[in-house]
Amino acid sequence: MAKREPNATPEAEVDMTPMIDIVFQLIAFFMVISNFEQTQADERVKLPRDALAKPPEVKVEHSLVLNVGFYRDMKGEKTDAQPWLFNFVDGEPVLPLSSGGQLKKEAKLFGAKGIDLKEVTVKVRADSEVQTGIVQELIKLCQDAGFETFAMSAMSGPEE
Amino acid sequence: MARRRKQSKGEKLETNMSAMIDIVFQLLIFFMLTLKIVEPEGDFNINMPAQGKPTNPDEVPPFPDIKVKLRANPDGTLAGLFFGSRNLGVGPAAFEQLNIEILKVIGRPGDPITKDMAVEIDADYNLHFSNVINAVGACTGRVDKRSGNIVKYIEKIKFKPPTPQAAAG
Repeated sequence: MAKREPNATPEAEVDMTPMIDIVFQLIAFFMVISNFEQTQADERVKLPRDALAKPPEVKVEHSLVLNVGFYRDMKGEKTDAQPWLFNFVDGEPVLPLSSGGQLKKEAKLFGAKGIDLKEVTVKVRADSEVQTGIVQELIKLCQDAGFETFAMSAMSGPEE
Repeated sequence: MARRRKQSKGEKLETNMSAMIDIVFQLLIFFMLTLKIVEPEGDFNINMPAQGKPTNPDEVPPFPDIKVKLRANPDGTLAGLFFGSRNLGVGPAAFEQLNIEILKVIGRPGDPITKDMAVEIDADYNLHFSNVINAVGACTGRVDKRSGNIVKYIEKIKFKPPTPQAAAG
C-alpha cells in the first residue's frame, strides 16, 4: 500500500472544463441559429408554399413588410373570416383595405429618411387563404402611396 | 523569501468560476428562449409601377401578354386554370401543365427574348392566394431536378386589376 499523508485533507473538486466547453458550444449554436432579422414577420400568417420560392441571394436594403393573415386557433383553423394586416401600426391589426392612410405615412417616412420609394420593396406576406382580390387591392393602395416594387413571400419547398 | 517560495510550492491558483458560469447559463437560456424556428422564405419579385401613367404610343410591346386566368369556386378554391382559352384543370397537375405550356411559348429558357415577354394573371377576387403564388411559380420557371437550380422562364408578371367583389360574385 502506498504511504498516505495523514494530514492531507481530501477535497472533492469537480472539473468544470468539459461543462464549460459544452455550454459555450451551445451558446455559439443558439447565437448562430437565431434569426434577428425577420422580426417583422408574423407567425399568424401561413404562407403559401412553392418550389420556386428560394431565399433571395441579395438582401433587400429597404423593405416594408405587410403581413396579411387570419386569426387562427391552436389547430390552425381560422377563427375569423376577415383577414387582417398584422404587425403594422403599433402592433394593432388593421383591416387591409383601410390601411391607405398609414401606407402614405410610411411612404412619407421613407421620404424623410431620404430613401427613394423606388428602392423600397414592399414584401407582401399574405396567408395562403387570403382572397387574391384583397392582396391586389392592398398592392393598389401601396401603388397609390408611391411604392413600385413588390415581392410576394412564399415558403420554399415542394407543395403539400 | 526562500521560505515563502517553499510554502507556495504545489499550491494551485484557482479562479472562481461560478460568476462566469452564472452568466453563461443566463446567456444560454436567453438564446434558447428567443429561438424561433423559421422555415426559409422566398420571394417572387413583381415590378408594378403605378397604373394610369401615360404609356408611350410608339412603344409597342414586341409580344402580346400571355394570359393566365384563374377562376374560383365560391369557397375560394380553384375552379379552373386557363392558359389563354384552354382549361388546364385544377390541382398540381394543372400548374405543371401551365409550366410546360410556358416553356413551349418561350422555346428555350434563358433566351434574351424572354425579357420582353410578360404573363398577365387574371384571378377571381375570392380565389385563395396560394393558387396565385403557384401560378406565378409555374410561369417564372422550374427547379431543375438534377442540379436543383432554378431554370428561369418568364420573370415579368403582371396582374389584371381586380374586379370588385360585388360584380364578381
